[in-house]
Amino acid sequence: MDIQDYFTQLNTESQTVFNQSILQKDKLGKLHHLSSCVYEFSGFIHDPQEKIILETVSTQLELSNYNLILGLYRQAFSSLRLALEMGLAAIYFSASKLELHEWLDGRMDIKWSKLIDEDNGVLSKRFSKAFYSDLVDEVESYRSKAIIVYRKLSEYVHGNNETWIDGGIKLVYKEDFFDRYCDFYRIVSETILFSAVCRYAKSFDESERESLQFLPEEFSHISKIRELFGRA
Amino acid sequence: MSEFYLRTESIKQSDILSLSVVNAADRGILDILKSNEPCLLEGSRGTGKSFLMRVAELELEADDNSCVTVFVPFNMSSLISTEDDLQFYHWMMAKTLKYLLNKLRKKGFIVSSLTANLLSNDINNTDDRVDSSLKEIVNLFEDSYKGKTSVNISALPDIEDVKEAIQTICEENNLDRIIFFFDEAAHVFRPEQQRQFFSLFKDLRSPYITCNAAIYPGVTHFGDSFEPIHDCVYKRLERSISDPDYLQYFKDIVFKQSDENLRNDIERQRELFNTLALASGGNPRMLLRTIQDLPRLNASGVNVIMKSFYRSQIWSEHTDLGEKYRGHRAVIDWGRDFLEKSVIPRVEEYNNSRKEKGTDESTIYFWIHKDAPESVKEALRLLTYTGIIRKVDSSVRATRSELGVRYEIKYGCMLSLESNPQAESKEFYKNLSIKKFPEFGKNHIAYAGSEKLLKRDELQYEESLRSLLQRPIDVLVALTPWQKNKLKSVEIKTIENLHNYTEESLIEKIYGVGPARARVMKNAAAAELLEYISG
Repeated sequence: MDIQDYFTQLNTESQTVFNQSILQKDKLGKLHHLSSCVYEFSGFIHDPQEKIILETVSTQLELSNYNLILGLYRQAFSSLRLALEMGLAAIYFSASKLELHEWLDGRMDIKWSKLIDEDNGVLSKRFSKAFYSDLVDEVESYRSKAIIVYRKLSEYVHGNNETWIDGGIKLVYKEDFFDRYCDFYRIVSETILFSAVCRYAKSFDESERESLQFLPEEFSHISKIRELFGRA
Repeated sequence: MSEFYLRTESIKQSDILSLSVVNAADRGILDILKSNEPCLLEGSRGTGKSFLMRVAELELEADDNSCVTVFVPFNMSSLISTEDDLQFYHWMMAKTLKYLLNKLRKKGFIVSSLTANLLSNDINNTDDRVDSSLKEIVNLFEDSYKGKTSVNISALPDIEDVKEAIQTICEENNLDRIIFFFDEAAHVFRPEQQRQFFSLFKDLRSPYITCNAAIYPGVTHFGDSFEPIHDCVYKRLERSISDPDYLQYFKDIVFKQSDENLRNDIERQRELFNTLALASGGNPRMLLRTIQDLPRLNASGVNVIMKSFYRSQIWSEHTDLGEKYRGHRAVIDWGRDFLEKSVIPRVEEYNNSRKEKGTDESTIYFWIHKDAPESVKEALRLLTYTGIIRKVDSSVRATRSELGVRYEIKYGCMLSLESNPQAESKEFYKNLSIKKFPEFGKNHIAYAGSEKLLKRDELQYEESLRSLLQRPIDVLVALTPWQKNKLKSVEIKTIENLHNYTEESLIEKIYGVGPARARVMKNAAAAELLEYISG
């Protein structure tokens, strides 16, 4: 077996996983819907730099899904974590232009602890008060969910021992991993969308809000968001 | 006490089924909602229409892979002007199709344009795909109602294009049909919008589409093309306090959302719970609210909440409707006065006199003559929307075999008048008789003031009102040709002319017109004006 045969073999095995994963049409549809929501949201952001970062986040989410389908579970989790970081960073930078430019120039890194900071982060009361004060009571639950999911995803990034034991490294379809990924993915995309709503929704005019019909649908359980979008 | 979910929208989809309680009547409605037949589900606010539709949707999703369900909640939009009739239709169409597209995306049947970021352009050439055509249709409708393009109606897609696109989606994906659930077809106060909604409802009829909608009791303007009896299954969602399973059913609903402590309290204090359940008059939201607001489930707490909620809060909510729908304010306020100052005291008096006589009878019902003035009927309709009263049945014979409508006053509103409601409830409920009701005839003195609701100086004077008043009486469909000719013979040619006459002056002036015909004639003009203030 030469190097080409070896990778061809890996590809074949990966394709076997792919063929099994692709049967989960309903679940894959839900994943795609959520990344599409992030993508569509980005289309309404007026600032071009902020818009492009959020759009990239949506593509990143899609690529995580592709890793999942191929059976590259660890890579999928890792990629999902990156999407979460970038998603919150996009929102963070929108309120901090200086840091945005430093990051664009490569002089600054995204620091998770800063993004999630209780007092000054994206999901802090301070942030919500500034952009969408009605959501001040909602941010904490999203913040704590984000912290938990970030920690779980990090276990795969850092290669904690238990993530090797139950997953192995072989390319095989693992329904358990697939479902776990879907759960994490839902939290990640909801967190990004919620942060985006918190940051921008008030600045949209009614016509723009009308076009963002998926937001009151996804956040129907939060009455203040429902009301902003015209539903009692 | 426990925090409850008071609105279906606040409940996450994943939690709906675990909170649902379904009795035989609900099951009957669910079966129809899940069937191929279109269904209209009528119920006042808080009776659980949305919840039941959600349950139907989830059950269909779990059991039937051959259909796609689409839940369409209409919001309030200030982008819709009342001037342009078709704009509202287009707005509804755009919303509906967008919800459909989102659902198809969630189910994996279509993908979004995000895919272009990953796929090469050659492969991503999806212009000929049917979902692209549906997206294009949505964009055209959206642009038209947002006023981005000057509306060229002929360039807009036809309803047939929409149905064809849906048919193709079904065929390509092996789907039998798409089932729409329209929640809050809530433009309840605007007759013209109601008509357009029902015309959309009917237009969407196809072997590949089933429409269901939740509507309020006040919805009466179905338009010319829609007949509720022929074009759908019409169901009323109401739970009569006399149903044998009533108390158990409401206990189950509350238990689904209660913690252990509250459940134990309710088990210990069944009579108190029963009082609150009956007081809600079949309305789960009101029951949950009153329990939520109780500091403790004890006799004094229940008395306090009964009085504060059913004597004052429920009424102020009705009055608040007038703030939201300003055109209706006078009718809403008059209706409240009529019920609070005339009807309820009459019913109370009726009950007291029977109590004094030692008769084991009580009532919460009253009867209104079928030919009562139009504005009185409108005021009552608005009270059914809030749920303070409920229309029990029509064509009920009363004194001298006259026909009329029987209404039920919410049990809580009557019971809260007692000094110790919870102590009185059991006996009061036991003695309830639907056959006993005070009557309000055709010209009851309590209707005084209702005629002023449509007085010209009470109405905001606008150009559109002027044009309405100048329309010929020929447009009044409620009048027979004979009646129109009679009116014209005395120079009553426009709605304004007719409006300026009183019933007495019509009787006096036109030979062959007595009180009955005079009322019909005046009601026809009043109906037009009521429609105006609704818009």
